[in-house]
Amino acid sequence: MSSGLSLAHEPVTKVAHGKLAMWIFLASEIMFFTGFFGAFIVLRNSNLELFSHSAAELTKGYALLNTFILIGSSLTMALSVLNLEKGNIGKFKLFLGLTILCGFGFIIVKTIEYTTKFSHHIFPWTNVFFSFYFLMTGFHAIHVIAGMIPMTFMFIKAFTKKGYNHPVKVETLGLYWHFVDLVWIFLFPVLYLIFPAH
Amino acid sequence: MSGHHPDSKTMFDSYIKIATALFALTVLTWVAALDWVPKSWGEAGNTLHIAIGLLIAIVKAFMVFYVFMHLQFDNKFIRAFVFAPIFLFFVLTFALNVLGP
Repeated sequence: MSSGLSLAHEPVTKVAHGKLAMWIFLASEIMFFTGFFGAFIVLRNSNLELFSHSAAELTKGYALLNTFILIGSSLTMALSVLNLEKGNIGKFKLFLGLTILCGFGFIIVKTIEYTTKFSHHIFPWTNVFFSFYFLMTGFHAIHVIAGMIPMTFMFIKAFTKKGYNHPVKVETLGLYWHFVDLVWIFLFPVLYLIFPAH
Repeated sequence: MSGHHPDSKTMFDSYIKIATALFALTVLTWVAALDWVPKSWGEAGNTLHIAIGLLIAIVKAFMVFYVFMHLQFDNKFIRAFVFAPIFLFFVLTFALNVLGP
């Protein structure tokens, strides 16, 4: 990779354009989720009893499992970028494949969690807590799926004759994937854990 | 990449260490949320639960930003640009949660 300025680098930050664009997008995403968190916490403070009882209905084990899956996927994503930069294409494909598998694992666990809620007649319109629960976790799940689409494309491309040798693009996608992990790091305690016992 | 990266062996080691710390902190978050605060503490006990949970999440977030997202190697402009909304998020969630109802 060139360390000097080029057409592909923004002159002030000296960062690749795509990567800078991803940081700008992620900054807007932070504000997007901050709105949800802020509204959730304000409503929680005025409906503490309802929120505590509703949070007790959530299956904390599924959330814990998904936290481990996403942290694992962040590690494999970072390792796939590292291996592509080193030119270890085999390991790059292995770790990228594992990241995609973790993404699928997360979605499967989330689907099981939602199905369990629906079977207990818990829906987004049940009360304000569950409206936010489905809204925040649903938007997060959409972000996971959105990350898996280009990841799968890169993975398939890596197996073609031409291969896939674009470390900056994979690193940029990695930024997005780590952000998805970050959002879950906050969703996990805020939605599932910090409610007082009743 | 904008900054100077250490060699790949060092990077690999730091990724493994950070992932291990993230797993450990997740378990700690779970344990901290258990009912260990005496009932006599009342509302202060709930505030303590919330503060611990959020502080651990903030530590985990910084680990991901700095190591996995390579913010430690990016220049000051990117760091300042990213930390402005993050700081607002931390202040908002922490203030609203801990100052509470």
